[in-house]
Amino acid sequence: MASAPAWAAELRHTATANLDRLPVLTGEEEEWRFTAPTDLGLAGAAPIDGTAVSADLAAAAGPRSGTLALADGMPSAPVLGELPPGVIVAELGQALIDHEDLVRSRLYGLIGFDDRPGALNAAHWTGGTFVYVPRGVELMLPTETLVSATGGHGRVFGRTLVIVEDGAKATVIDRYRSADLAGPVTASTATEIFVADGGELEHLSLIEWGAGVRHHARVTASAGKDARVRSVVVTLGGDVVRVEATHIAAGPGSDSRALGLFFADDHQHFEHRVIARHEAPQAYSNLLYKGALKDQAHTVFFGNLVVPPGAPGTDAYQTNRNLVLNEGARADTIPFLEIETAEVKCSHAGAVGRVDDEHLFYLRSRGVDEETAKRLIVLGFLQEVLEHVQLAEVRRELEDAVARKLA
Amino acid sequence: MADPILQIKGLEVAVEGRTILKGVDLEVPQGEIHALMGPNGSGKSTLAYALAGHPRYEVTGGSVVFDGKDLLDMDIDERAKAGFFLAMQYPVEVPGVSVLNFLRTSLNSIRGDELSPREFMKLFQEKSKLLEFDASFTDRYLNEGFSGGEKKRHEILQMAMLEPRFAVLDETDSGLDVDALKVVSRGVNSLRGPNLGSLIITHYTRILQYITPDVVHVMFEGRIARTGGPELADELEAGGYAQYGSPEPAVAPSA
Repeated sequence: MASAPAWAAELRHTATANLDRLPVLTGEEEEWRFTAPTDLGLAGAAPIDGTAVSADLAAAAGPRSGTLALADGMPSAPVLGELPPGVIVAELGQALIDHEDLVRSRLYGLIGFDDRPGALNAAHWTGGTFVYVPRGVELMLPTETLVSATGGHGRVFGRTLVIVEDGAKATVIDRYRSADLAGPVTASTATEIFVADGGELEHLSLIEWGAGVRHHARVTASAGKDARVRSVVVTLGGDVVRVEATHIAAGPGSDSRALGLFFADDHQHFEHRVIARHEAPQAYSNLLYKGALKDQAHTVFFGNLVVPPGAPGTDAYQTNRNLVLNEGARADTIPFLEIETAEVKCSHAGAVGRVDDEHLFYLRSRGVDEETAKRLIVLGFLQEVLEHVQLAEVRRELEDAVARKLA
Repeated sequence: MADPILQIKGLEVAVEGRTILKGVDLEVPQGEIHALMGPNGSGKSTLAYALAGHPRYEVTGGSVVFDGKDLLDMDIDERAKAGFFLAMQYPVEVPGVSVLNFLRTSLNSIRGDELSPREFMKLFQEKSKLLEFDASFTDRYLNEGFSGGEKKRHEILQMAMLEPRFAVLDETDSGLDVDALKVVSRGVNSLRGPNLGSLIITHYTRILQYITPDVVHVMFEGRIARTGGPELADELEAGGYAQYGSPEPAVAPSA
């Protein structure tokens, strides 16, 4: 790979300088109250490289327009299917050189480096994904990137930049996988999504790490005028995972949906911070996160609808529901609103519940054993989110993954 | 007379520490349909739930022999697998669980083997037609958004598919209009035969005009107060539950 252009090197230099300059995260900060920054490798000593474990982490079967496999976040060339003219699916480091004009104006535009986690990623990312869909083009098949951890690197970085131009359409998958690893590996990933006027995008973050991995993920999507953007975050694997998903309604009439599904077991700790920021009037957003928990797991949902002055006609909803399967597991839900515009329609709700004894009795009275009945109830609970996953093979795969967790 | 499919002796049941059933004796020979009538609070539904094994209903005395086996010793799902079925008065809504998935899971576990998808759909279509469900019903979630009548018809649809050896219908008639009552009764009558025993729990005599019982029992204050032929229902229709000390009529108030 040729070396990065001067502008990119300069930005990286600034990010690195910021890392030295910015105060260290202590965990005392309000937004770091629930997940210790040290647990995500965002503070404290840098993780140590270990020994790579070989594992078959092949992604799910399903036709893709382009795939990238970034082992330990290292760059590698994409495997491309037939792409419509003008569509780009590339490794991000290479795209800095090959598609400088497209990348330069957008990279770091939504996830910058003026806070520590942002600076850490900007300073250190090695490989990533660049997807570009030009005006009016529909990319029929999804692209998929697999960021894997082998254990060979103590730190894994990922970065994705997606640009969907006016009236274009695409589905982009970022998948994160590893085998169960002995030593702690920390992953830092940043996904920036720009959807221009009238564009349509579905983005899936599939977090399926094995044990031993801690992950701080950021996904920020900006929706232009009348654009439709849907993010789906599925968190199943990893010891400690914190996902920050932000939707920005940048254009009037935009439609943003943030869907999340998580299932934590054993001692897993997941935090989801989901924000819809309405910067334009007459936009719609809907956040729906549902989670199941068992064993000693702990999950936190923090949701926020931000409506600054000047966004009348905002129509925004957020819901988080959690199903706790046993004593000892704990779910916290914090729905929040920051509304500074009059004439808006907003609602928020958060709930934590248990498997309803009456549901269980009903199914069991029809001959279904307790374990199967619980599986049906949990899958049913998550169905509200699953049914929004358009790709049938991914939906089935997720149902199987949830069923495995219940077994 | 055939061997009894259900034999209840001295059954005592408490709910949250309060004794509701105070020694119920009741026997249903296989192939017969019995009606269990009684005013509100007499313990009819308590009997239904206790037989099905609902954990809120604590059996404090007595015995229930079902098809020669100790019913009270079985788990909830084992009772169903043994051929016991309860059509519930208030079927719960289970979000996200599709009707088809539920029925397939239930049928397979009760049969103990898997029907092919083709055989399953054939059976499902045949029985849904009998209970007058249209095709769109298959995409819906279990009881979610069902009208009262749909919920009751769905209970009988399950009964028709699972082919239990014995079914308790807990106030299946309550809240049904005449048309729905006819559909439900037709469903039950189509299953009537030497391999099905049934206990129809009802407050009112109306459903018994469509499903003629072999025997009528009257429950009062947690015991069987009287047992007789179908004529007992007529008697209740005329006099209500007055002779048992309750002012309630046995004829449904007209809507």
